[in-house]
Amino acid sequence: MEVAYSSKGGPRSRVKGKTIASALAVIALVLLPLVVKSPYYMHILIMSGLNAILAMTFITMLRTGLISLSIAAFWGIGAYASMLFVMRLKASFWLALPASIVVAGLIGLCIGYLFVRSAGFGFVMLSAVLGMLIIVVFGNLKFLGGYEGIESIPPPDQITIPLVARVEFASKAPYYYLMLVLLFVTIVILRAIYAAWTGRAWMAIGLNSRLAESLGVNVFRYRLWAFVISSAIAGMAGSFYAHYIGAVIPGSFDVFKTIYVHIFAILGGVDFAILGPIVGSVVMTFVPELLRITKVIEPIVTGVLVILIILFLPRGLLSLFGIQAMSTHVGRRIEKLGSFIKASLGFRAR
Amino acid sequence: MLQVRKVVKSFGGLVALNSLDLDIEDSEILGVIGPNGAGKTTLFNVVSGYFPPTEGEVRFDGEDITGLRADEIAALGISRTFQAATLFTALSVLENVFVGCHMQYKTHIWKRLLRTPAALREEGRLKARAMEILEFMGLSSLKDELAGNLPHGHQKILSASMAIATGPKLLLLDEPVTGMNETEIAAMVDLVRRIRDSGITIAVVEHNMKTVVNLCDRLVVLNYGQKIAEGPPREILEKEEVIEAYLGEKEADDVA
Repeated sequence: MEVAYSSKGGPRSRVKGKTIASALAVIALVLLPLVVKSPYYMHILIMSGLNAILAMTFITMLRTGLISLSIAAFWGIGAYASMLFVMRLKASFWLALPASIVVAGLIGLCIGYLFVRSAGFGFVMLSAVLGMLIIVVFGNLKFLGGYEGIESIPPPDQITIPLVARVEFASKAPYYYLMLVLLFVTIVILRAIYAAWTGRAWMAIGLNSRLAESLGVNVFRYRLWAFVISSAIAGMAGSFYAHYIGAVIPGSFDVFKTIYVHIFAILGGVDFAILGPIVGSVVMTFVPELLRITKVIEPIVTGVLVILIILFLPRGLLSLFGIQAMSTHVGRRIEKLGSFIKASLGFRAR
Repeated sequence: MLQVRKVVKSFGGLVALNSLDLDIEDSEILGVIGPNGAGKTTLFNVVSGYFPPTEGEVRFDGEDITGLRADEIAALGISRTFQAATLFTALSVLENVFVGCHMQYKTHIWKRLLRTPAALREEGRLKARAMEILEFMGLSSLKDELAGNLPHGHQKILSASMAIATGPKLLLLDEPVTGMNETEIAAMVDLVRRIRDSGITIAVVEHNMKTVVNLCDRLVVLNYGQKIAEGPPREILEKEEVIEAYLGEKEADDVA
């Protein structure tokens, strides 16, 4: 958004370069299944896409200064809602998907109304409580299948895309394309909001909420919006996930999933609202798999990695490539935390 | 324009404002002075909704605004700056002013996201307005600079620009010339006068006596959260209780 009003000649060509780069990336992503045949790698790709969507919702809230630990909870709400629509109400997946977006958004509205008033640490704790409690809720409601969850959720019904093909969800590729569509929709919506005045208000609230308030920005309402939009998008990802995996199990929506989502975003770089989550989640989903790290030691490796990022790469992987981003308060805070730890460990300041 | 009636603000045992009565008249420049800890900034904080008063009433244009949130009060037309130049340091100068213009953006959020012609027209209008304000404040050549990189004097002017962008009727300036040199102070005094001439009532908290005498039409002196004197600047500074209040402070400083 800072580019659009600039009078200098440079930014315009940068915008053009950006457009070409993103067009190339989209083409590459669309053609990818022709190269990657292994269902195993397709699965990892699909999961990284989903993780990227979730990490984007994390950054959306982070922009307004809210650190949410309930992302996986709304992911789960979307998944369970979709399961209920399809299995209990016998609705089609293509109805259940928007319906679960609405359900997650509405629940987000109610919960956000209660939570968002307390910003900062209060919000972190409240959202953590929700993140932990939701599993208990899912586990103890009979019609949601208890702690064992519900299996054999049907795949999405086949659909006919006019002039292209009849899509049957029998292999990984259609799921991959559906994931791409969801990812694309998320990016378009979030980019539009960031570029609009709403995005600037979010940024202002995140940078200095008292100042934003004194300039007439209704902090509560804008934070609530961010919370609802994030919840709805997470719900969308959840709906897809339920039908892709074919099962919903409470344990997969616990608060640790949210923490992983945070790590994806931080690894990519929190200043990069779209690209950061994508890079971070692809790296964090692929590398452990490629290194054949077992589930037992994975948390250890992840933990060490997080500490190393905070210490040596506080602005995330993307900062390595010298891509310009608006430096956000969170990015700076992580940087500060890193130098603080370094100092206490006896590293010399550069 | 603004009436403060019997306002008390206490923080635990500390009484920052003690049954304070104060009026701000239409299109004046009111100076609020007093020794450190007299409650000047607390007064601004209460009026601008930063926190509610413990007791008492604040009326603005005949409307009771006691206990409203800061953004609601800003929407009614009271805008303020902060003692330390408070800015969005990571945003450009122009964008800082855009945030100030935010309140005037009335188009509904869906129309904004869909970028309807009406929304785009309004954005264009607000951009023009932001540029106009920067022009008026003499910052237009710095519009693409990051606010955090500006020198201190310019930061102060920028924070006043943001406050003006909200379209206030009453502007509260908290120490607008602190840390400025003589030339910058003279420019700021001139600027504040021009802001007033554009139809905005102004209240200033300031320590620099020379500036206060130069700038203000009327002074209110606070000490221990109470008004001890009120009137034209030159008269006020000769009053015994005012001198005492300041001298008392000096003595305390000497002991420390």
